[in-house]
Order: sequence, then C-alpha cells, then structure tokens
Amino acid sequence: MTAAFDPADRADLDVSGLPTTVFGPRDIMWWGVLGFMTIEGMTLVVAVASYFYLWRQPGTWPPEHTLLPSLGWPTVHVVFLVASNLVMMRVSRVAHRLDLAALRRWMLVATACSIVMVPLRWLDFLALNVRWDTNAYGSIAWLTVGLHGTLLVTNTAEMLVFTTILHLRPTERHFTDAADSAFYWYYMTLVWVPLYVMVYWGPRFL
Amino acid sequence: MRAVSPSEITRADDRELHETLERVWGDRPGLVGWITTTDHKRIALRYIVTTFVFFLLGGLNAGLMRLQLSRPENDFLGPDAYNQVFTVHGMTMMFLFAVPMMLALGLYFVPLMVGARNVAYPRLNAFGYWVFLIGCLLLYTGFLTNTGPDAGWFSYVPLAGPGFSPGKRSDIWAQTVTFTEVSGLIAAVEIIATVFKHRAPGMSLNRMPLFVWAMLVTAFMTIYSMPWVASASLFLASDRLVGTHFFNPAEGGDALLWQHLFWFFGHPEVYIIFIPATGLVSQLVSGFTRRPVYGYPVMVLANIMQGFLAFGLWVHHMFATTVPQLGSSFFTATSAMIAIPAGIQIFCWLATIWHGKPQFRAAFLFVLGFIVVFVTGGLSGVMISSVPFDTQVHDSYFIVAHFHYVLLGALFPFFGAVYYWFPKLTGRMLSERLGYWHFGLFFVGVNVTFFPMHFLGLAGMPRRVYTYIAETGWGNLNLLASAGAVLIVGSVAVLLVNFFRALRRGDRAPDNPWRAETLEWATASPPPSYSFLHIPVVEGRSPLWERSERRPVVTGLSTEVRDTLVTTLVDALPDSRHYDPRPSAAPLYAALALGITFITLIFTPWGLPIGGAVFFLGMVRWAWPTLRSYREQLRYEEGKA
Amino acid sequence: MTTALLALQWSGRHSALDPFGPQAGRVHSLWQFLWIVAALVLLAVVVTLLLATFRRRGEAPEEAGPRTRSAVATAVAGTVAVLLVFLGVNFATGRAVTLPPDDALLLRITGHQWWWEVTYPARPPGNQVTTANEIHVPVGVPVVAELQSSDVIHSFWPANLVGKRDLIPGETASIWFRADSAGVYRAQCAEFCGHGHAKMALLVIAEPHESFDAWLVRQRDSARTPADSLARRGQEVFLASSCVMCHSVRGTPAGSRIGPDLTHLASRRSLAAGSIPNTRGHLAGWILDPQRIKPGARMPANALSPPDLEALLAYLESLR
Repeated sequence: MTAAFDPADRADLDVSGLPTTVFGPRDIMWWGVLGFMTIEGMTLVVAVASYFYLWRQPGTWPPEHTLLPSLGWPTVHVVFLVASNLVMMRVSRVAHRLDLAALRRWMLVATACSIVMVPLRWLDFLALNVRWDTNAYGSIAWLTVGLHGTLLVTNTAEMLVFTTILHLRPTERHFTDAADSAFYWYYMTLVWVPLYVMVYWGPRFL
Repeated sequence: MRAVSPSEITRADDRELHETLERVWGDRPGLVGWITTTDHKRIALRYIVTTFVFFLLGGLNAGLMRLQLSRPENDFLGPDAYNQVFTVHGMTMMFLFAVPMMLALGLYFVPLMVGARNVAYPRLNAFGYWVFLIGCLLLYTGFLTNTGPDAGWFSYVPLAGPGFSPGKRSDIWAQTVTFTEVSGLIAAVEIIATVFKHRAPGMSLNRMPLFVWAMLVTAFMTIYSMPWVASASLFLASDRLVGTHFFNPAEGGDALLWQHLFWFFGHPEVYIIFIPATGLVSQLVSGFTRRPVYGYPVMVLANIMQGFLAFGLWVHHMFATTVPQLGSSFFTATSAMIAIPAGIQIFCWLATIWHGKPQFRAAFLFVLGFIVVFVTGGLSGVMISSVPFDTQVHDSYFIVAHFHYVLLGALFPFFGAVYYWFPKLTGRMLSERLGYWHFGLFFVGVNVTFFPMHFLGLAGMPRRVYTYIAETGWGNLNLLASAGAVLIVGSVAVLLVNFFRALRRGDRAPDNPWRAETLEWATASPPPSYSFLHIPVVEGRSPLWERSERRPVVTGLSTEVRDTLVTTLVDALPDSRHYDPRPSAAPLYAALALGITFITLIFTPWGLPIGGAVFFLGMVRWAWPTLRSYREQLRYEEGKA
Repeated sequence: MTTALLALQWSGRHSALDPFGPQAGRVHSLWQFLWIVAALVLLAVVVTLLLATFRRRGEAPEEAGPRTRSAVATAVAGTVAVLLVFLGVNFATGRAVTLPPDDALLLRITGHQWWWEVTYPARPPGNQVTTANEIHVPVGVPVVAELQSSDVIHSFWPANLVGKRDLIPGETASIWFRADSAGVYRAQCAEFCGHGHAKMALLVIAEPHESFDAWLVRQRDSARTPADSLARRGQEVFLASSCVMCHSVRGTPAGSRIGPDLTHLASRRSLAAGSIPNTRGHLAGWILDPQRIKPGARMPANALSPPDLEALLAYLESLR
C-alpha cells in the first residue's frame, strides 16, 4: 500500500486497505505509553539526582545511628521482577500472533505476578530500616522506592481491569494493548534495577 | 475536485459526506455534549477562554500591585495581602496563562495545521482540561478565602516549608502546581503524538509549518522539565504533611536543593512560553508578507538549539547563592549563547519582511512591536548572565523589567495571533481600527511601565517589597510605571470591546481571510467538527500556496465511526488506520477523582489511599467499553464499519 | 543642612549607580559598557526593521538571494563577535571583583525575620561586639562579612559598595567590600523573606579610622546604670515588662537574644531595621504599636501608661 503512494501522480489516495491492528511504533497508543514512560522516568531521574545531591551534603551516608538497608526481601523482589519478564515476553509473543485464548491465559499469569509484587514492595519499604521522617536520607530512600511503587500499584490495577475486559469484551485492539503492557513491564524492570542498586547497595559503598 | 472545506462543496456525494461526518464527529446537543466532548477544537477553545480569563485576573493582581507601589509608604495593601497578590500574580501568569495558553493554541492549531481530524488521544485531552480547570479553581478559591500562596511563585524553602509557612497557603501552591503540570504534560504528549503520527500524507518533517515545529520542541521541553517541579512540589508537600526532611539542613536536607530543582524546571519554562511565540511570529510574518519565512532549516535548528540550551542555564538564577564561581562561568557562557539562536530567528524574520510585501494589519503591527520589545529584553538578559553585574541587579527591579520585556515580548505575538486566528476560531473578523488602538496603547504602556524599572533596580529597589520609604527616592519612577500600567489596562479593555463587538456584529470570516499558507485555512471558519471533509494530501511547505491543477485528497476512511489516518514519522506515508473512541464523560469523572485525591492530600496523608480508590473507579469507568462501542469496534476491525 | 542630607543620615545612600567601593565601581563601569553596546544593537535592529518594513518596493516579487544569505550570515557573525567581547569583559570584571583581600576586618552578619544581627568577633570573646541593623566600618579598609541565617533565606546588598550575597540557613557565605569614602550606605534585604521583607534594611556606616575605633570601644562597654532618676525608673519598667523576653541589655539581667541587642540602642540611627529614624517620637510609636510601622514584626504591642512610657523612653535614650 504505502509503496504505491506517490503524491506526484495527483490521484486521490485511497486508504481503505490500510491495517487497523499494528504493533509498536506503528501504533498510535504505543507513543502515548512511551510518553508516559518518559515522564515517569524523569521523576525517577529527579529522585536519583536528589539522592546524590543529598549524599554530597556534609555528614556520613547513611547518617550516624541509621542502620544500613537490609538486602533480603528487596533482592528476592528484584529477582522476581526480572524473572517475570519471561511471562511478559510470552504475553507479547501470543499477542503478536493474535492468539486470544493464549493471551487470556498469559495475562492471568502476568496479573498474578503483578499482584504478588505489591506486598513485596511493602517489604522493600521495611527493609530500608529507616523512617521517612528520621532524616533526609530516609526521606529520599522512601521517596525513590515509593515513586516506583506507585508505578507497580497503578500497573497492577490496570492489568486487573485489562484482563477482565479481555475476558468479557475482547477486540483486536487488546492484542496491541497487551504488547504495550509487556513493553511497559520491561521498562519498569529496567528502571528498578539501578534504583535497587542505588538504594540498597549504595549506602554500603558511598 | 474533491472538497476539503464544507464551503467548497460542489458535488452531491460531498454534501452527503458532510452530513455523515457531522453525525459521526459531532457532539450530542446541549449540556451532555458539552461535558462529553472530545473534539480538540472545543477543548482547546475552552483552554483558551479559561486561560484568558485568568490572564485578566492575573492582570488585575498586577494592577493592585502597581496601585500599592505608586507612592512610598502607601497603605492600600499590607504585606499579608501584597505577598498573596504578587505570588498569585506570578503563578497565574506562568501556570494558568502563559504556558497553558501556548499549549492550548497548539492543541487547537497543530491538528489543523497537520491535517488531522483530532489529537492523538482525544479523551486524555479532555481529562487534561478538566484537571487544569480544577487547579485554577483551587488557586483562586484559596486566594479569595485569604489562603492564597504567599511565598512567591518560586516558593523558596525554608520560607515555604513547614517551619515558616503554617496554614495551607503553601500547600495550595504545591497542589496547583501539580494540577497544572499534569495537564501540561498531557498536552505535551498529545502534541508530540499528533505531530509524529497524524500528519496528512506527504507532510514530511521538513514540510511542517514552523509553528508546528515550535510546538513540537516545546512539548519535548515540557516533558523533560515539568517533572522536576512536580517532584519538587511533592518533596515540599511531604515535608509539610508527613515530616520528611528534604529541605531541612538540621536533618541532612538542603535549602539549595529546592532552587536547583525549581530552576531546572523554571528556566526551560520561560522557553516553553517563548518558543511557541517564535512559531507564532513565523506564521504571522509569512501570513502578512505573503512569503515563506526565510531560512526554514535554520529556523527549525534555532528552536531545537534553544530547547537544548534552555536546560543548561538554570544556575544563573542562583548567582547570589553559594554556588561555586567556576561553575558560574559555564552558566554565564551558556546564558549568553542563547542569544545566538534568537539572533538567527530575528535576522531571518527581518530578511523575510525585507523581501516580502508587508500588509499593515493589526496582527503585523504586533510582530513589529515584538521585535523591538523582545530584543530589548534579550539584551538585558545577556547583561544579567554576567555574574558580577547580576550580583548587583539580581532580585532587584532590573530583573522585573528584564523578564517582563521577555514575557510580554511573547505576549505581542500572542496578541498578533489573536487577530490572525480569531476569524478561524469564531467565524468573525475583529476590527482592525480597534486593533491599531490596542497595539498602540499596549506598546506604549509596556515601555512606560517596564523601562523605568531597569533604573529602579539599579537604584537599589529590591523585588517583592510591598512598600518603600520615601527617602529612597524611588517614588517618581514607580509612579511613572503605575501610569504605564493604566495604559496596558486600557489596551486590554480595547481588546475586550473588540471581542464583544466582533462576536455581536463582526464581519463573517471566509475560510482564508489572510490568504495564508497553512492547512488550518483550508477549512471553514470556524472548522466543522470533523475539521476536513477530505484530508488533503500535502505536496510542499506551503500547501495553500502550491499552484496545483488538482489537489489530491485522502479517500477510503470509514464514515461510520471516528476513523483516523496514522502516517509514518519522518515521511508521513499512510501506514494504518486507528479507531477513535466516542465522546465520554469518563475524563470528567477521572479528573474529579484526581481532584479529590490532591485536594484531600492538602489536609491528610489519607488522601492517597482514599483518592487512589476513587481514581481507580474513575479509570474503570474510562476503560470499560459500553456495549455499543464494543460492537462498533468489532465491526470496525472486521472492516465493516 | 537640607532635609535630603538629614534623611541620608538615617536612611543612607542606596544605588548601584553611585559606587563608593572598588567592586561597585568595576560593576558600574561594566554597566556603562553594557548599556552602550545594548543601545547600539537595539538601534541597529530597529533601523533594519523600519527599513525592511517601509522601504520602496518594485512591482515584481523579489526573491531572497545570495545577498540575503550573506547579510544574515554577517549579522549572526556580528552577534557572536559581540558576545565574545562581552564574555571577555565580563570575566575580566569578575576576576577583579572576587580577588580576596588580605588583612581584612572580619564581622559576622546573621539574618533574622526581619532584622540583622551583627557581631564583631574579638579575642578575648568578652571584647566581642554585638549590635543590630547597623555596621560600622573604617574607610579604605577591606571588610569580610560572614553571612548566616537563623531562619529563612535573606540577602545582603549594600549596592553602593558591592553586589549582593544570600544568607542561607545551614550554610556560611562570605562577601568582602571596601568603602572608599565616609558615608552612610543602605543595604536592604534582597531575597524575599516574608512579611517584613520590605522593612529589613541595614546601614553601613563608613567612617575614618579613629572614629571607627572609638565606636568599637564604646560598643564593647556594658550599659551603665543611669544616673537620672527618670531613666532609672525606666530601667525598672524595662526589666519588669515583656521587653526582656526577647532583648538583652548587657550589664542588666536582660539577656535574651531573640530580638536585637539594645545595649547601645541610642547610638543607632534607625529603628525597626531601617524603617524609621531613631527619634524619641518614632521610638515611642514603635514600642506602643510595632505592627502599625512594620506589619508582621515579631514584636508585640505594649500597653504602657504615659508615665511608664516616658520613663522607658528616657532609659532607652540613655543607652548610648
């Protein structure tokens, strides 16, 4: 279709044969997802910049009488998050194949993974071993984990609604949306790994 | 020949098409249609009207300040009132007028200029407006109940922090910022996606109108800058609400962190206003000289260069703090360098005017006024990039003079755009004679008001003072500045008269009253709900000036549902079709839920779980397809609709 | 003496265009260079704009050609050249004004909402001088001021001597200046700091070396118990009232440091941080109703009977 288009031939351009289900950058919604990833990414950049700015202030990091963060549950969480990408890769693959039955199954698994991570995030907070109102170190650590936590929670809510609609009123559009939600998941993993290193390992080395 | 505008219909099938498209793209009548609309033109017009109302209110605040300062030791306003007035003036002009007005012009005209029937995400667009409106109402509810923010639009800590601003005034600042930034970010995403994926076939990137380029650069800057202030206001709100210590030096926090975060946003913010203004100037210059703007590629590059440089000079707002001297030299150099792209733009416009045939319309006079006022502001801007000079004039009235020259410099093209686009928005022509009066009063008023302020600043008058003692000798120049403000008020009054006169008995506007080059003029004034009867195929940079025998158009889009054309990013080749959802009240519900969340958060941290739950319900309502739209979409995907 | 000169005695000079110190002088020269260049650039743009708009045109449309391109390129090159000259001049000025002085007089300024606490550190510490809203410096001697804040951000700006520097809580900044002739120079707070921001000024009094030394010696003294009986009764009123909750007068039990030190109040030229001249009438008005003179000030109104007020004023005026 597109190869045949040449405005110079001055004929009207019939677009009725164009596809209505496309994936990735060809799809308009993908750009919206990318836009919001960028915005959320910027808020995380602000958190990281503030983290290092506050660390540069006089005094030790973490401040005296403040325990180092624990590594146990946060490490379990980050490993689980990375591993769950295998599920999302399946989601993306069956979505591209337009296989509704398989997509429904894998979306259920993915939603379950997402739900499991909400209590895990709570354990991440406890593992900081400092309260948000103890000192600026505690404030920025809570904020960083919390910002990413809002992504986790809203994503879980979204997946719940999406999976329900997928079972009750599915359209082809949902294949594209499912692929986008896998894309978003990769992003959530990609940003959390460095944040995890910064928040839980950083105070040990800084 | 196939019609693009309903006013060109000659064929029976086009007439039928017009009626079908009106049914599909039109809104339901009355209040329901008003609430549920997702038409970018209606929403952007709403933004424009709302921001203009707040421009008038912000101007009223300025008038109160000029009245108070007109003589020494005046007791018209005390510090408590004055501090709220100047803070709300700054917030109004920045957050409720200048930035959203520029984005609103983008939301109205970018889709029309690229030949799209709507923005990329119509419901999100409606949501953005409602969120914006809630933010505006929050600020003015606070202000009118004596709870207006009073620590400056920059809200420096610790003054705005928990220790020195008890009460809710600073919290209103923080949440107003949150609301307006959310809506600004949404508008930016809309503009980027619309420009990237909804351009008419053939409008490759190097054929986009300069205004569209300017809005694209602006939208990117918005996305990279606004999260900084949104995060900073989150830090501030949590310091105040739950006792975090981001800005408390006693617990490892730092007051200067706030200034870095705020100005990393705050400086690009100025360019978020200025860059669209340059886009407006380009459209006005080409429209009223009947010439394409000279040096298209360098004009685009100048905007991009400004976009990058704007992020590299925030520290020049902090030269009087303890930032290291060596770093300051870097920021002096970048601040001065931004004069280069601005110079390139000025010279290219001058070259265009030189070779063109100027039409002395009111809109064009504003272009001339812009060049004089903006260059003046730019020159004082270069001066204050110098650290030693800035340490003298920083936070003095010299700065007030400088940034009003720059920002009102951007208001000139805006007023020019008002005369240029009013016919498109309303279908009526504004009076040119009143336009001359508007321009004359405004140009003289701006200079009489703000030029003396340079000397007030040099004579030692600090900013944000509610009064001054007579012995300082600042009285005369302040009186002169206040007299100038009267002229500005008069000029805006003339504009309002012009509006009402035009709406009641102005001449009917044709499709293209100025014989301009871009696609918004290819359709009726005001445009129908579907914007273009047939989406035009673009063959050059000035689609309406190309002399073509036969203008090709797009055919084959569905006429039963809101079917939109998606094109490729660089070359705008037709690539796929996209189903746009029906109008819906869900964006309003979701915005109300968000409003409840943030406003409850002013009072208690429980706002987060409560608001989160309400917002979740709003999102479910939004995402859930009605049976009707579900069936419609299935038919669309099967190719039957 | 004319009234204007009288006013200068308590309000001081305050203008960057009227330099009395080396740094303000250099910046003033920089300003003169800047405005001349800016005026020329603006003139060039306006003339070109008017020519481009109103020049006579032929009927045939003219196209932009190679001449246009070279004109635009030349203008851009000119812009770059002007900017480079500007950067050069600017850096030269910057180096000249930031060079730290040797053997400077050290003093410490602490910002409060909304007044300035000034101390002259000395050894032994008993010789330290504390005053408020007024600093004295010897003419021709470099002075380093250490700047701190006890609450919010303020900014110290004696425009005739040097540009401003912020007082930031949690940090110590420093600034140096030198007054090259005797006079009273006003420094008004330049960073917005709340209700009293407009009424937070400080006087820099530059005087010959001998009178400065004499002043410093006088300021070291504690307050003497007044000889006059009315003033003695005033001291009793002072010590029995809420004044002592915030103010100190060295040599008496009043030792609170929340408000300005009043040990040598009568020697100061202004009241309420440069808001009003230090005269008997103004002092009475300030004590009875500070909010009328300086809304938001931390000092409460004081209901005093006329005889008590009379006595208190006599006492305060004895604190020279």
